[in-house]
Amino acid sequence: MIGNDIIDLSLAQRESNWQRKGFLEKQFTENEQKLIFAALNPFVLVWKFWSMKEAAYKIYAQQNELRFYAPKKFDCLLMSGNKDLVIFKNQIFYTSTIITSGYIFTLATIDKEIKAYSKFVMPQFINRMIKIKLQDLTSFSAEEIKQKKNKNMVPLYYHKDILLTKSCSISHHGKYGVFSLLYPEI
Amino acid sequence: MTRKELITKLKKIVKPYVQDQEAFMNLSEESDFINDLKINSANLVDVILDVEDEFNIEIDNKSMEKMLSVKAALDIIENKLIKS
Repeated sequence: MIGNDIIDLSLAQRESNWQRKGFLEKQFTENEQKLIFAALNPFVLVWKFWSMKEAAYKIYAQQNELRFYAPKKFDCLLMSGNKDLVIFKNQIFYTSTIITSGYIFTLATIDKEIKAYSKFVMPQFINRMIKIKLQDLTSFSAEEIKQKKNKNMVPLYYHKDILLTKSCSISHHGKYGVFSLLYPEI
Repeated sequence: MTRKELITKLKKIVKPYVQDQEAFMNLSEESDFINDLKINSANLVDVILDVEDEFNIEIDNKSMEKMLSVKAALDIIENKLIKS
């Protein structure tokens, strides 16, 4: 299972103030706060941690069909390799983060070695681009592929009764959009 | 404070974060902050901090976990106001 999150850094700069009283205390662990204050660029680390928490939360929410808001309970651990960890209720999530000058993107997985497909697209074309990708993979026509959301608002893609996506995660923020897919077998 | 007064105050608080103005016009107790009003999850903390400032209450982590809808927010605010 996978979960992703994207942050438009210029929008985050405009719409959120991480230095606001209570902002860090409510969402970040003591250890994360310490690392944020020690960081060369605290703003970027705030949003890296946030995207790690959100991506891991999306997996947990999918697995358990639950919704809640408890970012502080998702404990981010920065590792020296290319994968970081998020721990929640004794469950480990592996995260990979890409940071550019425009955005931060995190993909979380429950298996360390899992390979998912992610593509950056303009937010308004996400749904369309997923269908086109699935058309390429399955040879079902994109027109016949339908998105259904489960009660937890997790997107699922079907051709008639056949589920085409093992796990799908969508994120958009400001001018950036992304989708990540795990397909049944490739 | 009546439930109606509370909802009026809450509406004012969430307005700057709402991205679906039509849903905002039709805001009811059943409205979900993220799915209906399209408030970005990164701004939920701002809603909570604004609620704390406006009503002079503290929203503990346990209450915060449930604050995903207008109804949940109103219940939590009411509850905290009674205790304060």
